[in-house]
Amino acid sequence: MYVFKAAVLGAGTMGAEIAQVISLSGLPVVLKDVDEGQLGRGMAHIREIYGRRVQRGRLTEHDAEDRLALVQPQLDYKGFSDVDLVIEAVPEKLALKQAVLGEVEAQVSMTALLATNTSALPVTEIGQSLARPQRLVGMHFFFPASVMKLVEVIAGERTDEEYIDSAIEFVESIRRVGVRVRECPGFLVNRILMAGLAEVLRAERDLSLEPREIDAVVAASKLAPMGPYALADALGLDIAQDVAQTLQAAYGERFDLGDRIANLIAQGKRGAKTGEGFYTYTG
Amino acid sequence: MTKDQETELLDRFNLAVFLEAVRCLDENVSTAREIDIAMRAGAGLSEGPLGRADKVGLDKVLARLEELEARWGDRFHPPERLRALVASGRTGVAAGRGFLEY
Repeated sequence: MYVFKAAVLGAGTMGAEIAQVISLSGLPVVLKDVDEGQLGRGMAHIREIYGRRVQRGRLTEHDAEDRLALVQPQLDYKGFSDVDLVIEAVPEKLALKQAVLGEVEAQVSMTALLATNTSALPVTEIGQSLARPQRLVGMHFFFPASVMKLVEVIAGERTDEEYIDSAIEFVESIRRVGVRVRECPGFLVNRILMAGLAEVLRAERDLSLEPREIDAVVAASKLAPMGPYALADALGLDIAQDVAQTLQAAYGERFDLGDRIANLIAQGKRGAKTGEGFYTYTG
Repeated sequence: MTKDQETELLDRFNLAVFLEAVRCLDENVSTAREIDIAMRAGAGLSEGPLGRADKVGLDKVLARLEELEARWGDRFHPPERLRALVASGRTGVAAGRGFLEY
């Protein structure tokens, strides 16, 4: 299946970034939101990403204008009948995602592929509001999507293999790396990475180490681009804690982060975004 | 940090990641190749956990897991899939086959 026209629902940061990536590959994409202000902020964000690419010499100003023109902002479902792929990227609330997908299903053709961008919610449940849940796939874009190369393509219990194939083809056509993932809590990358982070926190305690020296050793080993504490701060400690709690409920004690991160959160230290987490951030 | 502490820290991180990757494989969440691709492209790891274990040598990985299991308990229990690979001589890159083929 070739996608001639895509649509992204939700013009928050994630939706805007996804629309930017699609337009950069030369495909027309509708960016839809219910809120005019949000739509404006989403388009401004896309312009900003293109601006940076021009500044860095990755794209000429002329090409950037052309690609930007491929993004069509709108508040309604005009022209959705010839959309081949819809990526829902509204906030991570199950009922909201169900409602939005149920609504768009009535606007697109029978052959259109539906995708939900989620890092944590079960695709099978998101699809419960659909008349044809077999055409819903999960597409987990990593943050920030304009930079990160990976997209986990998630099959829910009712997803047809055919739609997974189409989703993988699409992800590759926008120059991203698509991997097939069968639905499970945490999906693939967050689940595996969080198992490592939880063990590092236990090692910190067992060996009486400091976060700073652990990060230095991990960075020096070249295993990962940054140490686990710097990564947790960048991600947001509250988000890391949420993910770990979901994983712990699903898989057990190996995902227990102890009280280290909970204590920081209780002091209002939620990582880089609050100026303090394991480290202190200025400016 | 002493050299021993550094070794223990990195082994525990690497093996916790490796064990979770093997669980994903056992649960058919994804394939060995795609797990390694995902961990490089999505988590920025320099090597995928399964290819990394193949490079170290699965016999060595198994021996280290047995040590860590004795010291830290069940969470380092070596997976059956790993024992089977080692028993069949598929010990990784050096043998030409492990979790991946070479």
